[in-house]
Amino acid sequence: MSFKKHEAHIDLVTCIDNPAFKDVDGEGDGSAAKTSDDDHAGEEKQESAAAEEYTQIKPYAGMPKEVLLLYSSQARYRVPREILFWLTVACTLAIVALTITVIAVSPRCLSWWQLSPVYQVYPRSFKDSDGDGVGDLKGIQEQLAHFEFLNIKSVWISPFYRSPMRDFGYDVEDFRAIDPLFGTMRDFEELLAEMHNKGLKLIMDFIPNHTSDRHRWFNMSRMRDPHYEDYYVWTDCNATAPRPNNWVSVFGNSSWTFDEVRGQCYLHQFLKEQPDLNFRNPHVRQEMTDIIHFWLDKGVDGFRMDAVKHILEAAHLRDEPQVDPNKPPEMITSEWDLHHDYTTSQLGLHDLLRHWRAEMDGYSREPGRYRFMVTESYDYHEVEKTMMYYGTPLVKESDFPFNFYLLDLPQNSSGLWVQHLVHLWMANMPKGRWPNWVVGNHDRPRIASSVGQAYIRVLNMLLLTLPGTPTTYYGEEIGMENINITDSQIQDPAGKHNASASRDPQRSPMQWSGDMNAGFSSNKTNSTWLPVHSDYRRVNVEVQKKDEDSVLSQYRFLNALRQSELALQRGWFCYVRADASVFSFLRELDGLDRAFLMVLNFGKEAAVTDLSSIPELPDQLTVLMSTNHVSDGKVLQKSHIPTEAGEGLVIQYSISTRFNPTHSEQCYVSEKACYIRVVDILYKC
Amino acid sequence: MDENGARERKESLNGSTGPSMDSPAKDKQAVKAAVLQKDVGLLSGIGFIVGSMIGSGIFISPKAVLLYSGAVGPCLLTWAACGVISTMGALCYAELGTMITKSGADYSYLMEAFGPILAYLYSWTTVIVLRPSAFAIITLSFAEYASTPFYPGCTPPLIITKCLAAAAICVVVSVNCFSARLARYVQNFFTAAKLLIIFIITGAGIVLLAQGNTENFSNAFSDTPPSFGAIGLAFYNGLWAFDGWNQLNFITEEVKDPYRNLPLAIIIGIPLVSVCYVMVNIAYFTVMTSTEVLVSPAVAVTFGDKVFYPLSWIVPLFVVFSTIGTANGSCFSGARLTYVSGREGHMVKILSYISPKYCTPLPALILNGVLAMFYLIPADINTLINYFSFAQWMFYGLTTLGLIVMRFTRKELHRPVKVPVVIAGLMVLVSGYLVLAPIIDKPEVEYIYCAVFMFSGFLLYYPFVHRKVEWARKLMRPITIYLQLLMEVVPPEKTE
Repeated sequence: MSFKKHEAHIDLVTCIDNPAFKDVDGEGDGSAAKTSDDDHAGEEKQESAAAEEYTQIKPYAGMPKEVLLLYSSQARYRVPREILFWLTVACTLAIVALTITVIAVSPRCLSWWQLSPVYQVYPRSFKDSDGDGVGDLKGIQEQLAHFEFLNIKSVWISPFYRSPMRDFGYDVEDFRAIDPLFGTMRDFEELLAEMHNKGLKLIMDFIPNHTSDRHRWFNMSRMRDPHYEDYYVWTDCNATAPRPNNWVSVFGNSSWTFDEVRGQCYLHQFLKEQPDLNFRNPHVRQEMTDIIHFWLDKGVDGFRMDAVKHILEAAHLRDEPQVDPNKPPEMITSEWDLHHDYTTSQLGLHDLLRHWRAEMDGYSREPGRYRFMVTESYDYHEVEKTMMYYGTPLVKESDFPFNFYLLDLPQNSSGLWVQHLVHLWMANMPKGRWPNWVVGNHDRPRIASSVGQAYIRVLNMLLLTLPGTPTTYYGEEIGMENINITDSQIQDPAGKHNASASRDPQRSPMQWSGDMNAGFSSNKTNSTWLPVHSDYRRVNVEVQKKDEDSVLSQYRFLNALRQSELALQRGWFCYVRADASVFSFLRELDGLDRAFLMVLNFGKEAAVTDLSSIPELPDQLTVLMSTNHVSDGKVLQKSHIPTEAGEGLVIQYSISTRFNPTHSEQCYVSEKACYIRVVDILYKC
Repeated sequence: MDENGARERKESLNGSTGPSMDSPAKDKQAVKAAVLQKDVGLLSGIGFIVGSMIGSGIFISPKAVLLYSGAVGPCLLTWAACGVISTMGALCYAELGTMITKSGADYSYLMEAFGPILAYLYSWTTVIVLRPSAFAIITLSFAEYASTPFYPGCTPPLIITKCLAAAAICVVVSVNCFSARLARYVQNFFTAAKLLIIFIITGAGIVLLAQGNTENFSNAFSDTPPSFGAIGLAFYNGLWAFDGWNQLNFITEEVKDPYRNLPLAIIIGIPLVSVCYVMVNIAYFTVMTSTEVLVSPAVAVTFGDKVFYPLSWIVPLFVVFSTIGTANGSCFSGARLTYVSGREGHMVKILSYISPKYCTPLPALILNGVLAMFYLIPADINTLINYFSFAQWMFYGLTTLGLIVMRFTRKELHRPVKVPVVIAGLMVLVSGYLVLAPIIDKPEVEYIYCAVFMFSGFLLYYPFVHRKVEWARKLMRPITIYLQLLMEVVPPEKTE
């Protein structure tokens, strides 16, 4: 790196502006040592006589400068020196160029919400630390090791705002306070700090559509305080009937309730204790934005935006069209009786969400602190409405809207049906966006009960091997089922209205161990707010941790696989086969020769799948993991892949030719990336 | 052409057509003896110390001190106390440095105090492992900070950090090879840069304090006092941020008027760093609660995002500057140690040779760079080298012990600076604690490997240094000749 003798030599003499001399110098350097010696001798002021003597001296170890300079410019030393020097320069430049190239071609890296499943904690039922029978924030903090064990990084905690609990937290009395039932603000801050310490991210609910009727704003509004007068949707009506229009609440019956204090009706798309905020009022918009800031400042990593499609309603308050026009208007009591043209997905909704997204982006600048946003909107057959929440290529909105379509799985059990539901999302999702999968939440019956316990393993396998972010409702990782509730036990206000609509069955306490109350409550004698499922001695975390073939262990294995395999993280997703029983797909990444084939039997019977028509697959397939552990490691012929009903196989294989180039219509990828094994990098391709 | 004629022509040309200012420059170059030049003045000396001490730690993870001290008040006190301790340590080095005006710091002092064996052990461990690995680690963190902005939300691929680190090593070593003066300018520039960002952060902190952002200080001592063990760990982590106080002692021979400048640079430099550290921590606490500080992956970056937006990018940029500056300092002083131990015959002789043209210890620099490159190869060098940290403190302790010993054995030596022996005694105790603390806290078998490696140095010492076996010398002779001619390096001339 420093063998720059020749250049420096010239530098030294460039001040001598004489071409004739330069000629001599060049000649000297190029020719015999003698001439070169002369040059140097010429440079040394008083050494000329001495130099002549040195020409007779051979170089020796530890020779001084005078001797050294006699020989060092000989070609046998100078040339290697210069080669080494320029080699070093070239290498440095090459390394820098390589680095810049790699940086330039690197695809965007996956963010935390893409890498880990989102785990939904229902705080009432997760872990009770103080023995009152209801779960709390301290309890969640006690169980953080569970997420670490499962390698889950994103935890969504259902609402814990101060609330009169008419809708278990979805009726918020104070957006800036923690309900005493769950703990204190200090508990929350400790929980958040501890989660961040462990590298976990906390996603919380944000409930913009409505507040509790006990919220200060509502009281001010019903008193007609000038500032708060229009915070809610009020309209003139009578105390008795008729209602201002035919709109019905999600929980049934009219969405209008007469308020005696103000003498007007207010709108509530949910319970009458949950009056809808009026988002056409700029003060309301500002208040809600301030609340987002409040929690982002506290360090919350993301929001799950609750019931977004209901945020705005048509200002004209016209009747909504009936699904059955012949039905008498007084019989219109359920949300299914109307087309919700004026109460959902109104113009301006996406502008609101995009504004909030922009506010969250302001907090995402810090490296590693991206703030995540997911929206909740059940749009049923109108999937294109759901897709709007993805935003546009130019304007960001939510990172993804929840994909609730897999909740329809129980309607039919066949591979084709599963493929249909998966395809519903994949085919409609805007290009380049990130899919996600939900099979359960606090509003829907547990999938293990509705599809059947036999399918819980294959369902977890499906979720964890599909592209995108899976969501796990607490208990799904151990295969928890609905509890049976007698009418007297019903806690859910919606259930009190209509027992069959009760959401209590899926909200039973988390089953941690075989102890009293399944280890959910620290108080082992007290009863819990909802009864623990009777199967808790068999289905609980402690027992399943010890069993290598349990639902929990398989979940953990698959999640670890998902996070360690690039192909599962961000590779191609290609449909391979779907029939009455089996849904089969593969995951592969260009440049990576390790790929995965999933053969999942959602049918009612055992099936044998023949994939011999697919030349890209090797003839012999080794099962990496099966939901039925006896099949682990089996070598199968690709023409004969047997699966039991409810069995799923993850097959890892090596490929030379990839499937996606020739089957582009069957394949999806969010962002194309190719892998170079030699240097272990991904690049845009 | 006859040589006298050529000289005459040159001289006459110099006198007549050449620009007049170039002529004395050329003359100077010609008469310059082949020695390392005494070029480091007071300002450069301070810059060297400050630049070596302030790496990336204060910007990224001052949290370990907070974590163990528990609250804001004890945390700030710990920083200040660490500053006092390292000032005391540095005073000992000021005495040693003015008493024994040789480069190589601990090496030369151990040599004087305890003889060659301990000094050899020191140079073996330091030249082969500690210095190059420290150089590699600091370039790696440079690479990390330089590449992170391009990978928001995830860690850059390994190849990126390794490549950038390798490039940084090449560039830094080249700069140091070609000109000690340029290296010094580079050092001064980056030291100024890191002081500037500290000044900016501190200034912002003062403004915010004046605006009344004092809630994080309101109950600075409210929490229960930390346990004794926790205080020890807080000190352990804090003192690492001060590591590097003896950097100037490594280059004593290049300091102008070392009797004045060396102690002055130490006395000014280290308290300066201590004040900076405390002020920066105060600034952090004006905008961040202790929880936020603990949680933040990079505290100064978080601070920048909160305070300087939209100019928040300046913080990461200056952290990059800071790391490259520290790398330069590490390379500069590391090579001097290699050079001195080569001169004493504890390393191959060629390492003590210098380039007559650039007046830099070229072979030593190149060895240091090549070894640093080698340390880039393992996936996680940091954890590996952490086990060697006890060695670092062991030698600090031994050197200070040497100071006490020489008070008795070498009474005749002139001591322009004389510290109270109590301070040296205290430093020995502190060093002893810092050697034992991590080992007792987490005893692991790796420490034994490290010790085995250190003592394995004797396998080379006995035949080659002590016995000076003949065949080895015969073998080395042609290699030395070739390398000398290839690199154009010569033994340093005696200037006395």
